[in-house]
Amino acid sequence: MNKFLFLLLLFMLAGTADAAMFKAEEFTLDNGLRVVVAENHKAPLVKHMMWYQVGAVDEFRGRGGSAHLLEHLLFRGTKKVSGEEFNRIMEKNGAESNAFTSYDVTVYHQFADVSRLEILMALEADRMQNLNISEEDFEAERKIVFQERKQVVENNPASPFGERVRQMMWGTSPYGQPVTGLPEEITALKYTDTLDFYHKYYAPNNAILVISGDVDTKTLRPLIEKYYGGLEKRPVEREVPAPQNEKIHQSLQMSLPHIATPRIARAFMLPPREQMQDMIYAYDILAEFLGGGETAELYRDLVLRKRLAVGVSAGYNYMTRSNTVFRVSMVPDTDKGFAPEAAVQTLNAAMERAKRALTAERLAQIKRKISANLVYLKDNPQTAANWIGYMLSMGFSLDDVQNYEDKIKAVTLADVKQAFAALSETADMTAILLPQQDDGGKNE
Amino acid sequence: MSKCRRWLILGAAVVIAAVAGISYRCGSRIDTDAILAHSVLKDKTFGVKVQQVEADGIKAYLLEEHSNPIVAVSFMFDNAGSAYEPENKQGLTALLSEMLLNGAGEYEALQFKDIGEEYGIKLGFGASDDTFEGYLQMPKDNLNMGVKLLTAALYRPHFTLDYIALVKKQLQTAIRNHTERPEGVLADKFSELIFAGHPYARPAIGKPETVAGLNRGDLLNFMRTHFTKGNLIIGIAGDINAAEAEQLIRDLFGHLPQQFADNTLEEYKISSSGAMHYVERAAPQAITAFITRGTHRNSKDFYPLYVANHIFGGAGLSSRISKVIREENGLTYGIYTYLSNKKSAVMLAGGYASTPENFAKAHSLLLEQWQQMAQKGVSKEELQQAKDALIAAHNLRFASTGGIADMLVAMQQYNLGADFLEKRNDYIRNLTLDEVNAAAAKYYAATPDFVIIGAPTVTEKGEK
Repeated sequence: MNKFLFLLLLFMLAGTADAAMFKAEEFTLDNGLRVVVAENHKAPLVKHMMWYQVGAVDEFRGRGGSAHLLEHLLFRGTKKVSGEEFNRIMEKNGAESNAFTSYDVTVYHQFADVSRLEILMALEADRMQNLNISEEDFEAERKIVFQERKQVVENNPASPFGERVRQMMWGTSPYGQPVTGLPEEITALKYTDTLDFYHKYYAPNNAILVISGDVDTKTLRPLIEKYYGGLEKRPVEREVPAPQNEKIHQSLQMSLPHIATPRIARAFMLPPREQMQDMIYAYDILAEFLGGGETAELYRDLVLRKRLAVGVSAGYNYMTRSNTVFRVSMVPDTDKGFAPEAAVQTLNAAMERAKRALTAERLAQIKRKISANLVYLKDNPQTAANWIGYMLSMGFSLDDVQNYEDKIKAVTLADVKQAFAALSETADMTAILLPQQDDGGKNE
Repeated sequence: MSKCRRWLILGAAVVIAAVAGISYRCGSRIDTDAILAHSVLKDKTFGVKVQQVEADGIKAYLLEEHSNPIVAVSFMFDNAGSAYEPENKQGLTALLSEMLLNGAGEYEALQFKDIGEEYGIKLGFGASDDTFEGYLQMPKDNLNMGVKLLTAALYRPHFTLDYIALVKKQLQTAIRNHTERPEGVLADKFSELIFAGHPYARPAIGKPETVAGLNRGDLLNFMRTHFTKGNLIIGIAGDINAAEAEQLIRDLFGHLPQQFADNTLEEYKISSSGAMHYVERAAPQAITAFITRGTHRNSKDFYPLYVANHIFGGAGLSSRISKVIREENGLTYGIYTYLSNKKSAVMLAGGYASTPENFAKAHSLLLEQWQQMAQKGVSKEELQQAKDALIAAHNLRFASTGGIADMLVAMQQYNLGADFLEKRNDYIRNLTLDEVNAAAAKYYAATPDFVIIGAPTVTEKGEK
């Protein structure tokens, strides 16, 4: 409550009329569990998300896939909720229950009628410390994640390209390895290693709980204390792998079966969030300027004016605890033939021309576009929970989330120009994916 | 074997454990029913009602929801989807979906899109087999600009030759890329094999050669004959009242022609007999879709079958087939079934993917479960669990304003009535075990047909 008043006061002092993005409050339990409650009263719904600050980068070398396999095991029973009971209870209560593992976080989440929120909290609190898994459960789940790797990664013919690009960009960093683990790692994972991982990282002081929906902090806080307050704090040491600092320029050209259309991607490795500070927002704007949809500069230039490409995109990923990555990509128009080197030159030349097209008017327009779309973030309670959870897990504060629009508005033309120029002074990668000549990209 | 069963065995073998276990119900020692009964959050309800509004003879459903200043309109032209394209014009509705956004009225393509983005207006079109669909969402303050853009698109699209050439090229690229992944090959082959001879057999976004032949006249013709008041369905949701909604309908759709000649496609009666259609393709996993006949949305069998399917393969990790094939045997990452109601074909369908050595075992376990469903149906406990689940999940449909507008369209498309949301939980609650098991016996009697996109090893081992 005090925090919210303080925020209001801050806005008044700053003389800005902008409201915070979400009606949200943050507090921390005595056991270290950070909690954010974001209100959305459209319907009696709630999104409940537990964000563990641990992911694939925390795995032991050669044990790739253990964070992900553990995520699966959390659906297989505790000392109090046996076997398939967890899934049965979620189902009986109409909850959409799932989880995901990334490089930096492991997240368990449910979307349900708000009447079921206490059940979600009871079960989530239980599996934070009471996991009870047999070796049989472990073996059964290992088979499932093996199939998952085959289905989600390997059945996609472009995956070897994506994985190779990652590996080259990140070198020996754990960020260069697949989250799923390699197939041979999955088959070699050990029961004890995986459970050690659980005991090492699953603790209230290493998690962020985000609840978004038809709730308010006043009602919810005692319930959160009731279900989560009794969990024991324990020492968690987490080393975030050192960032990749080598300023190298790499390129990759890969031909793969079943690929029908060539594509070109350029990736630029930028410093981690804490070093970037507010330049994060300049790159957000730059991505929008270069590749945000069919009004973006590269689309105007390469697709509409010059007809050298059929599609372009750009993006900036700062949802990571290590290096942030800016990328642009292009699907060239191959009607008049295709030469990889020429296509890369085409993309690079367009980037150069884009520097001249970056004006104060275009910047103002992009800011208006970003602002105009923020209202949709408040629509679905799931969107708010996701965004808040990600931002906080990556080290942003709730204020950063709330002030996103102001941060965007504060970016100057000089900032974006500087951001753009810095791309040529950092480690980068040029990667080209091609159809394999022998099948010419023809399918079947 | 689940831990639950292991407990029982242990309980029987060890007397002390059995005594201690008298009050111990196998399963959860967290009493979730009691938690629910005492929850301070249990009495929240969603009391908003669907209204029927009408203007210029056009009816629409409206659900007012004023907590966030967004207005969402979803609409569809029925019998105007890709299956309704002229025979040699496949890809026409896909081309049209894009071309409506590439310049209209006083705006060139870039201007049109720039304005949309600056005003936070989301406007788009798309086609299913049966319907051509559109959506318009915007902040309440920008309603007028949203109307301006959509009316320009509906009544004064430019369809410049330049943009037609560009979008055709983009579509042809998308068509080629669509079959890079086995899922894309499966979708095409599934339609081709299951709906042979019917317009549903066509690939959804056309073929490179049919797209090449499309022209400006085709777009104008299709719009003139398929965008009419007679086949229009509208859902409106969000920060808007009935009077405003009626004005919106008038502004957006009031100038469409009235006439629509009913052109509904011939009903395609799916029959299945366990056929296995293999399509060879080297990949780490074989992927399959399977199908048998389902039932129409308004048939008396619908809810019984809906619940039977939920128990069999619709309930995610808790479904029967997921428990056996995924959880217990680890043969797949996911297996599921669903009911699908195209206007002219009703289906009970499903799918899974497995590495070649697992594929046949998963297939035989699935058929075993399938036959068991037909012969024994579901238990009283399973039915109760399914009812609880479906009723508890009722409100999840109100998560987003755009989603609500889509739902209002679907309610009209399937003639469910404006009071559907009030009645829906009773449709589920009142089902009897006999009704569900009669549906199970009827619809699971036939073995589904399978289309399999697989590694060669699967093909060689394939049982016919």
